[in-house]
Amino acid sequence: MHKSAPFHSCLLMLLVLLVSFSKAQNSCKLAFSGRVLDYDTHQPLQGAIVRVHDINITNTTDTSGYFIIQHLCAGNHSISISHIGCTTISEHIHFKKNMYHVFELPHLANQLQEVVVSGFKKTQVGQLQQDIREQALEMSRGTTLGEALSKITGVTVLQTGTNIFKPVINGLHSNRVLIINNGIRQEGQQWGSEHAPEIDPYIANKLTVIKGASSIQYGGDAIGGVVLVEPKLLPNAVGKYAELNTAVFRNNRMGVLSGFWQQHLKRQPFSYRVQATIKRGGNARTPNYWLANSGLAEANLSVAAAYQMKNSGHDFFYSLFNTKIGIFSGSHIGNVTDMLQAINVGEPPEYIKKEGFSYVINRPYQQVRHHLFKHKYYQILPNKSRINVVSALQYNSRDEFDTKRFASSSNNPQLSLQLFSASTEMNWEHKLLRKTKSNWGVTASYQQNSYQYRYFIPNYQSMNAAIFFIEKYQWQKWQVEAGIRHDIKWLSAITSNTGKIYKNQLFRGTNGTVGLNYTHSDVWQSSLHIGTAWRSPHINELFSDGLHHGAARIEKGNSQLQPERAYSLALGSQLQTNHWQLSVGLFTKSIQNFIYLNPVYPPELTIRGAFPTFAYTQTNALLYGLDANSEWQINHHLSLLTKLSLLRAKNTTTNEWLIAMPSDRLEQAIKYHFSDAGKWKEPYIQLAILHVWKQHRIPASGNIPFIQPDGTTKWLADYANPPEAYFLLNAEASITHQGRKNKQVIGLVINNLSNTVYKDYLNSFRYFAHEMGTNIALKVKFPFQL
Amino acid sequence: MKMQQTQKTVLSILCAGMLFTACKKEATSANEEELITTIKIVLSHPTTKAPIDSFIFKDADGIGGNAPSKFDTIRLQTNTSYLCNVYFLNESVSPADNITEEIKEEGADHQLYFTTTAATLNIDSLNTDANNLPLGLTSRWVTQAASNGTTTVTLKHKPGIKASGDLISKGETDIEIAFPTIIR
Repeated sequence: MHKSAPFHSCLLMLLVLLVSFSKAQNSCKLAFSGRVLDYDTHQPLQGAIVRVHDINITNTTDTSGYFIIQHLCAGNHSISISHIGCTTISEHIHFKKNMYHVFELPHLANQLQEVVVSGFKKTQVGQLQQDIREQALEMSRGTTLGEALSKITGVTVLQTGTNIFKPVINGLHSNRVLIINNGIRQEGQQWGSEHAPEIDPYIANKLTVIKGASSIQYGGDAIGGVVLVEPKLLPNAVGKYAELNTAVFRNNRMGVLSGFWQQHLKRQPFSYRVQATIKRGGNARTPNYWLANSGLAEANLSVAAAYQMKNSGHDFFYSLFNTKIGIFSGSHIGNVTDMLQAINVGEPPEYIKKEGFSYVINRPYQQVRHHLFKHKYYQILPNKSRINVVSALQYNSRDEFDTKRFASSSNNPQLSLQLFSASTEMNWEHKLLRKTKSNWGVTASYQQNSYQYRYFIPNYQSMNAAIFFIEKYQWQKWQVEAGIRHDIKWLSAITSNTGKIYKNQLFRGTNGTVGLNYTHSDVWQSSLHIGTAWRSPHINELFSDGLHHGAARIEKGNSQLQPERAYSLALGSQLQTNHWQLSVGLFTKSIQNFIYLNPVYPPELTIRGAFPTFAYTQTNALLYGLDANSEWQINHHLSLLTKLSLLRAKNTTTNEWLIAMPSDRLEQAIKYHFSDAGKWKEPYIQLAILHVWKQHRIPASGNIPFIQPDGTTKWLADYANPPEAYFLLNAEASITHQGRKNKQVIGLVINNLSNTVYKDYLNSFRYFAHEMGTNIALKVKFPFQL
Repeated sequence: MKMQQTQKTVLSILCAGMLFTACKKEATSANEEELITTIKIVLSHPTTKAPIDSFIFKDADGIGGNAPSKFDTIRLQTNTSYLCNVYFLNESVSPADNITEEIKEEGADHQLYFTTTAATLNIDSLNTDANNLPLGLTSRWVTQAASNGTTTVTLKHKPGIKASGDLISKGETDIEIAFPTIIR
């Protein structure tokens, strides 16, 4: 901790330096003029809106597509140009003198992307939500979906080593967080913390996190929130376009190559995109040693196609996610004695630490494959209402390969799971009254899971049917949205391979939400969201029975569990002035029948010794907290960014803190935008300090015995205390090169700049090893307009 | 017409996609491999090799599920010398799989440790592997006066890292059973 003090003073010095440096220029007499044309036809666009965001000035183009904005100050301004039916362009322009600029707006992709057209899915009125796109997304390229999402305030990650990241939204994760991949509910093996979402983030053009407790359209379960992975829209104008993304990471010598090719045919209203990513990384390094066997290999493919007629269209999407992830050798323990031994030392034993760098992935490792196929059809009816029919098939296979006991043992995995899902949804978007928008729909899905080798969850079939209604209403400064949904879920054919047959399960529940938005003024908006949601117990919570490797504990399901019921309240406020942007969200969630692993006594005796045992139990929980973001534009070059997230999570029945909840964190960044220089545009550097507090809020007692120096036994809830607080220093820089036709974006990201030795509470490998040391990444994006 | 053709294409892609995705293996009844359900300690006369007694720990369905069905107390006589053989079995399959043989064959990657709190029991003379490092499938147990305690049998897996003088903390634990021990 003491290490970071010099960095604070460094930052301060830099701040002073930059302020004095950029003080000189200040004339607000510049004019910004230009013309807006159609990208394809080069015809002028009338009525396009040109907006200078930071000072809130807008102007519209005349019949010849011309516009002019007066009285601009010198410095950087964010400009956006929008026009009905076109994709909005956002630019960051540096003004030194009067400027004339021609903008070409591409057509808005197509009717098939529900997010654009209906607005139903994108804006959930009243919900606290935040997204990552454009620059922020570019800078996260090459990392996993979980890591990219952790840039959002209130989102943390549940980590398993250096490769597996699972998003945690305000303390909730796994089955309580829904991930919507291109409009489809991702059906992966979501029951374990070491199961990362099976999604290639390069598919996405935008990642959105909706923090609310309920989602009407996507179903129950979303007690923690929803993650929307939204791909780039398919082109609607004739032409070809390609993009190549590269990223190299120094720490684990990882290389990533991702590219796509897209085209809209000349004679047919048909467009398509083929996208692929390959990724290969070796062992990661902590500041003092290598993490043996922590490499990864990934190869992903996706194909999107759209065929669009006058009032209807088809949309196809297929994606394959394929990964092999090495599990750090030092984390593979046999029993509690091994676990305590590892914790006592605090880092891996010498014979593991001395292993150097390697790309080889040995056992233990995971191999995960996920296929997703989607078809969507829409039809616009004569009364302008619209019907969508979406069907999807998914197949997830997950193999876990542990260390072989004998060299002569078979090469089979120790655990193998196959999950097949099929779903279909039909919804009708229409206007019931003049000022309302409605979305009514029905969904049905089927799922089948089977396993081989070791038992952890049984084979089963599951069916789900739901009906929902969403109404939206706009009145003066108010926007109201209300929705209701009823689900029935049926679990059947639940068997183990040793012949056990479990009782079928039937669950039903209703979700309801009311959201309000109120616009106080041009710069100030507030929102309120009240919702109730339910989640049926997941298969592992009902029927798991066995050793959770790596956690050194036995987990036991409980077939008597009832669904969870959450009630949530969220208040948000957003202020956006010339120099200041502030957004604050306050939330509270009360969850009845909250399912969690409760320590039980005595420990279970096995051939590997006694293991502490945990049984799935229900209690009442209360979570509340605050997420805040602010961006202060000190001058046209310099800005100060702050992110704060606080969370409190209690078991209200026992009045104890809930285990494994993210601690409070504060991130502060200072960003300096340089002036553009010729073809080099939008250069900036940013330095950020992340402070993560130590988690003091943990259950006071549990079922893991620790003999104290005085000979008495203390019963604790965890094998080791939460790690100490830490500071991390991260830096990034980016510049765009404006070529004749294309813009190349170059980014440099340095994580853990000071090579700090630390451990994070939410990393399940914190018992065995430290976190990664300095990691320098270089990312370049090459677009090709053909 | 072109339109119809496109629709046909679209339909066939859809079907192909469905086939591709739906083509899955039927659930097999394969169970956990390499399971060790049983450890058997056989004590014999040091010279005649005649078996004297045996002590068993057995958890037929592995970790989780039902509790161990057999967990013996080791009962020894005072002032006696024994030859100890340790056997490992997988009794979840029929016929039972004798895993002792595999441990013997790959002795260079495995090691048994015996630690006892019974003050008058001494365990030594562990047999060795191909590299002349201790393995422990056989050992000599010598008792003196009467005492009580526990005898912990630990099987360590140390692929490629087994060396002389290894502490018990090295490697991954495959077996760890603390047998209550009574010397009378």
